[in-house]
Amino acid sequence: MKPSEIIDHPFGSAYAMRLGAKAPWLGHLPGPKTEAWRFTPLRTLASTPFVPASASNDVDVTELPRGLPLIAGAARLVLVNGAYRADLSDREFGQGLTVSTAQEFASSARSPLALLNAAYAAAGISIDAAGAGLRPIHLISIGAAGAEPLAFHPRLRITVAPAASLTIIESHVGLPGQTYFSNPVTEIVLAEKASLRRYVSVAEDSEAFHLATTTISIAAGGSLEAFHLGLGGALVRQEISVRFEGRGAAARLNGAYALSGRAHHDFTTVMDHNVPDCHSSQVFKGVADGDSHGVFQGRIHVARDSQRSDARQLHKALFLSRGPQIDCKPELEIYADDVQCAHGAATGEIDHDHLFYLMSRGIDPATARSLLVEGFLTEAVIEVSVPDVQAHFIDAIRTWLKSREIARGRP
Amino acid sequence: MAATRETAAAVRDVEQYKYGFVTDIESDMAPLGLNEGIIRFISAKKGEPEWMLEWRLKAYRYWLTLTDEEPAWAKLKFPKIDFQASHYYAAPKQAPALTSLDEVDPKLLETYKKLGIPLLEQQILAGVAVDAVFDSVSVATTYKKKLQELGVIFAPFSEAVHKHPELVKKYLGSVVPYSDNFYATLNSAVFTDGSFVYIPKGLRCPMELSTYFRINERNTGQFERTLIIADEGSYVSYLEGCTAPQRDENQLHAAVVELVALDNAEIKYSTVQNWYPGDADGKGGIYNFVTKRGACRGKNSKIMWTQVETGSAITWKYPSCILQGDNSVGEFYSVAITNNRQQADTGTKMIHLGRNTRSKIISKGISAGHADNTYRGLVRIGVKADRARNYTQCDSLLIGSTCGAHTVPYIENRNPTALTEHEATTSKISEDQLFYCRQRGMSQEEAVSLIVNGFCRDVLQTLPMEFAVEAQKLVGISLEGSVG
Amino acid sequence: MALLEIKNLHASVAGKAILKGITLALEPGTVHAIMGPNGTGKSTLSNVIAGREGYDVTEGEVLLDGKNVLAMSADERARAGIFLAFQYPVEIPGVTTSAFLKTALNAKRRAEGKTEVDAMEFLKLVKAKTAALGMPYDMIKRALNVGFSGGEKKRAEVLQMTLLEPRLAILDETDSGLDIDALKVVSEGVNSLRAPDRAFLVITHYQRLLDYIVPDHVHVLAHGRIAASGGKELAVELEAEGYAKYLDAAA
Repeated sequence: MKPSEIIDHPFGSAYAMRLGAKAPWLGHLPGPKTEAWRFTPLRTLASTPFVPASASNDVDVTELPRGLPLIAGAARLVLVNGAYRADLSDREFGQGLTVSTAQEFASSARSPLALLNAAYAAAGISIDAAGAGLRPIHLISIGAAGAEPLAFHPRLRITVAPAASLTIIESHVGLPGQTYFSNPVTEIVLAEKASLRRYVSVAEDSEAFHLATTTISIAAGGSLEAFHLGLGGALVRQEISVRFEGRGAAARLNGAYALSGRAHHDFTTVMDHNVPDCHSSQVFKGVADGDSHGVFQGRIHVARDSQRSDARQLHKALFLSRGPQIDCKPELEIYADDVQCAHGAATGEIDHDHLFYLMSRGIDPATARSLLVEGFLTEAVIEVSVPDVQAHFIDAIRTWLKSREIARGRP
Repeated sequence: MAATRETAAAVRDVEQYKYGFVTDIESDMAPLGLNEGIIRFISAKKGEPEWMLEWRLKAYRYWLTLTDEEPAWAKLKFPKIDFQASHYYAAPKQAPALTSLDEVDPKLLETYKKLGIPLLEQQILAGVAVDAVFDSVSVATTYKKKLQELGVIFAPFSEAVHKHPELVKKYLGSVVPYSDNFYATLNSAVFTDGSFVYIPKGLRCPMELSTYFRINERNTGQFERTLIIADEGSYVSYLEGCTAPQRDENQLHAAVVELVALDNAEIKYSTVQNWYPGDADGKGGIYNFVTKRGACRGKNSKIMWTQVETGSAITWKYPSCILQGDNSVGEFYSVAITNNRQQADTGTKMIHLGRNTRSKIISKGISAGHADNTYRGLVRIGVKADRARNYTQCDSLLIGSTCGAHTVPYIENRNPTALTEHEATTSKISEDQLFYCRQRGMSQEEAVSLIVNGFCRDVLQTLPMEFAVEAQKLVGISLEGSVG
Repeated sequence: MALLEIKNLHASVAGKAILKGITLALEPGTVHAIMGPNGTGKSTLSNVIAGREGYDVTEGEVLLDGKNVLAMSADERARAGIFLAFQYPVEIPGVTTSAFLKTALNAKRRAEGKTEVDAMEFLKLVKAKTAALGMPYDMIKRALNVGFSGGEKKRAEVLQMTLLEPRLAILDETDSGLDIDALKVVSEGVNSLRAPDRAFLVITHYQRLLDYIVPDHVHVLAHGRIAASGGKELAVELEAEGYAKYLDAAA
């Protein structure tokens, strides 16, 4: 749906006002009785008086935050509070890559958050990839609120032409101690035999909200490899919908989360086998410390006559303390008989036998736990096929583990 | 292999729905519709004490506030039910007080004979006591005397209200409160009969207790209510069977079952549900909206639900366990078969509150024809449920490419020392398996029956012997014509 | 002073008494074998010494170089020099063998006041040790014990032992699930570690292992007590006559 098409929706009036008064949309957010949001309440979000991002109320960001992954040869695209920043971005992307800013385009996402994005989004960014040997793209989205809580709605479209292949890394970060709400919508279209590797890291500030909606359609023979890392934020949801539109397509959608304090992280996935002969696999792992809340909702849908579909999904989560909550809703919705579909889900704490084994080799309990947690999450991270990115994610997890030890007063 | 052939032969002998006859018996019915007058009528018919009527009215008044809150979350499609188009009371007309089975209307006995329910004591399978509920009224309870000697109360609910008001008052609505959900609230207002069971302290009930439910009259709803209390250290195995005649219109069945297990007590509750499923085009059939819940109130208590659901046009049913007592155990074993236009949305809830509580869920869904079959389950681990354990296994089998099989588990864990594990798979009967059986001389239907029975084995083997045999046959019958 | 001293040790699991008064002293440089039928407390003894949770010591003492080990946590005991070669080493997905070994080795070195080994030194060390045990060096890149065969797991246990150089090594049914070739390799590894300042406690059901790791003393464990002690000839006698007479006597 294009922004200009949603006038008849409650958010539509906002489109007309664009940079109007404080958050007139808050009353229209999904409530706790909406099934899709049962584990992720938006009360706090709805009670925060956000103002739309604009040049006048933003904090200026003149350089990139530290700790971002360094990906050899990647072309950089930087957004600050959802707005494209030419001064911080690369200008040359090399052959086969067309990057256009200031685009208005439709998205197939229909969720309330996607509509909200459509109503408020500043100009969108469009990345069109054709051919092989393209530069990887590193998209960096920085949240930087001023005195008032700030809301911004990045809008991104990625198309990959037939037989082309693209790698994109996304880092979503924020300046510390600030309350902002990032509501990105990403529309991805993979043409026949196109392939995309997409690696997303969400490490927002502990006061920040991040509700991301991604829709991906894959034509015949196309393939997706995606990994999503969630390292916190007051309220984070990464919602990813994949739809197969042609036979012989494949998707590997994986992720990990590590939560502490009062962080809330929600992975919601939809794997829509709309045509026969497609293959999908999902591995999600998470650890929860402090009073955090981890959520995984994953739906596999196999449409009537989508024979020979193969769909698998796994979610495993570990408690690191007494206090977190972990909710899980894996879902199978199957309308074809010649299929292989399975999901598994498990929650629990660190295996006592594993801990004892490590301690019996002289490793102190805290180090043993860290090793086990790192190993647990690594099992998902090893699905990342780009070595630099895999190493960056493992480093990010180690940093998270260290910060957790520091928070507990260990050296 | 001999046994298989025997089963298959038995399957062939039986019609598609062999329980689809109507008993021609004069009956005593309430006028169509639902209002306070009808509830007073039901209560008066039963000669109920004032407190019972008050409870019904409280439920009815609450139900009126729920009119827009019929549960809509299940994966079920059906036209809106007109609750004014049913009779809420129907009883076979006969002399009110029976002193022995000899006085039961012979036509009724004939009906139960056709159903395969042995009412007369000489025909009773050793060790099964039967309470039979015909439309709204309990018509006969067998083995009453022997059970009385042991201190077991096994009586029609209406009788228990009179004879054991202290027990009924204490436990009625203590597991499923009158305000629980739309259908349970309706049941609380209009329930007509059902079974009441009390097993005294320390007694291991030596026989299976059994209730057979039968809907006979046209345009009647059946709203039975069952309450089972297993006192400290006792054990009981309870069987429930259901049938209804073949009719073109849909009939509503909204039952409530409450189980209470005190310290060290164990209740095993088995159901074979074979209500009329409607015809191949989805015409007619029972709407089965049932609330079943057990409270493991005492430490080391155990409740085990086993269900074989082959009938009904619509099944909406989630037999659940509230694991309050430390070390208590809840188990749920389910086979749900849907064929033609049947729809089932069934599963369980395991609510872990006490320490060291354990639950196990084994669900086998089989879908054929144009049917939809959904497993929906909740596993919730409370903050205080240290070292709780849950294991869930949900398997779906699809037969043909026009049906649907769905799995919707909810797993909510608040305790770090608890462990939950969930696995689900979806598959079909493989051509290789079918061919293998055919090559050994089995017909297509025998082969399907054999393979599906194998698929359900983990569940069927938890049933008491007589029920297991019946259930195996039903599995075959229910899937007849599903494989071309 | 004995290297390990067990004095009147009583232990129970979930309220059930398993060890009912064990007294044993291991001098440095010796190998003691504990033999006995299944279910007599052999594995309980090794777990209690190593400090596994779930075992309650109700009476008695365990001293390593005169220090009470029962007050220490499992990792403190390991750093003090107790090594348990597990009967069933656990598989830990995601944790590489190399990360695990390096962490364990450096924990020990820190405790001994030595500098930690760096990545290069570590690899060199492991290369030498794996070669000596006839193991492929690549196995340290794999997740800990995951997908290892029974023989590989036991070899990995011995590899850890040679790296950590314990004061006391407990071998819990190390021969179970091993074919004769693997048994030889593992035994050679153990024998190469025999040293004047080190002691071994070899727990086994069969005499077979003791053909390769020759003990100085053999003890028969029955019903939670030591029913008989002797030299290596006792193991041969047990092989011929079985445990029946000790079980009857102790019952």
